[in-house]
Amino acid sequence: MFVCGYHFPASMGNDVSMDVVIDRVKTESGDLSGLSTIEVTGETAKGEIIETFTIVSGSFLFTALADYYNKSDVPEKDGFKMVYFTNKYQISELSKAVDGDSTKDFCRKFDDMNLYRIKVA
Amino acid sequence: MSALRQIAFYGKGGIGKSTTSQNTLAAMCHYYGQKILIVGCDPKADSTRLILHEKAQCTIMQLASEAGTVEDLELEDVCKPGAGEFHPEDDTITDGYIMCTESGGPEPGVGCAGRGVITAINFLEEEGAYNDELDFVSYDVLGDVVCGGFAMPIREGKAQEIYIVMSGEMMAMYAANNISKGILKYANTGGVRLAGLVCNARMTDREYDLSKNLATQIGTQLIHFVPRSNHVQRAELRRMTVVEFSPNSEQAMEYRELARKIIANDLKVIPTPLEMDDLEDLLMKFGLEEEVEEDAVGKKAEEL
Repeated sequence: MFVCGYHFPASMGNDVSMDVVIDRVKTESGDLSGLSTIEVTGETAKGEIIETFTIVSGSFLFTALADYYNKSDVPEKDGFKMVYFTNKYQISELSKAVDGDSTKDFCRKFDDMNLYRIKVA
Repeated sequence: MSALRQIAFYGKGGIGKSTTSQNTLAAMCHYYGQKILIVGCDPKADSTRLILHEKAQCTIMQLASEAGTVEDLELEDVCKPGAGEFHPEDDTITDGYIMCTESGGPEPGVGCAGRGVITAINFLEEEGAYNDELDFVSYDVLGDVVCGGFAMPIREGKAQEIYIVMSGEMMAMYAANNISKGILKYANTGGVRLAGLVCNARMTDREYDLSKNLATQIGTQLIHFVPRSNHVQRAELRRMTVVEFSPNSEQAMEYRELARKIIANDLKVIPTPLEMDDLEDLLMKFGLEEEVEEDAVGKKAEEL
């Protein structure tokens, strides 16, 4: 199955544990020490930006989004890359479980139906 | 050359199955160079129109009726190359291509619609349509009809991996569960497996959570959540997939990601369908329905 863009072989079943996914993302993301913030925008279906956020390092949310940004080859728009809806829901679910209150408010927004874009700095 | 994979997209009528399947298959061809044969198994015969840029393709049943019998047809009569970049002779964008055929069915209210599916598949096999060059054969099949004809692709080892297109709406989930029951029935005799749910989102509350939980409970994965986008409608009005119409758009990227996952997918399971009570419990748990007291069943809104 596929979580956060990574393929987990069928032998691992259809419900790969959060710990395994988190380990995989942390390992694959490599050295992120050069990054300090991630800018996030949320926009409506008509392309109107209605929310902007800044995610600072130190959370799984930061690691997963930075990893997504570095690996994804979706076209950039002013340095921003769209986040696949599947990935944003999966990252949000994991972050709520491991980051606790520090990302709770953001994740609640991230769970909505808007398109989100991210840019690392 | 890799082995031919026979996949099928099943789903409730009106769920966006043909749109999802054509855009996904277009993405498999456009971005990954896959060679594909689409076998439309819906009497509406709209499983290939976006690939062909046509209103509707002449179906095998329609042409057989005009010619006298299906034996009077040639493969070239019923199996058309995709338009533009999907044509086998056009390699400007991709080495892949898409061939298209539609089974068709009888006039509404007359005869058995599933019969067309059986006739079409037998004809295509006998005429050598499933050639060695193909990477995928894809069937596009109605799933809310309990009919042996529509089960044809999952019987007798035709389609080996099934993707169910669904949404977070109750009837779509009910249909997805029902299709799982059909797969279960033929899993041991024909080897068919459930390969994943594709949520063609209606953007209802907690749709991802609901779809993911249904997938997990029936033993499979939610392979991708496809958001709703006006780009799809804009492309459809031009009889095109969004992949061809706007290949760098966000929506095309979503289909590209789904295509990547299908090509790499190895999670093919014998499903464990839910009982109706369990399905209703799931809907209530994720807020699609408020929990209803026993004495409220059958009461109108103004009585509550």
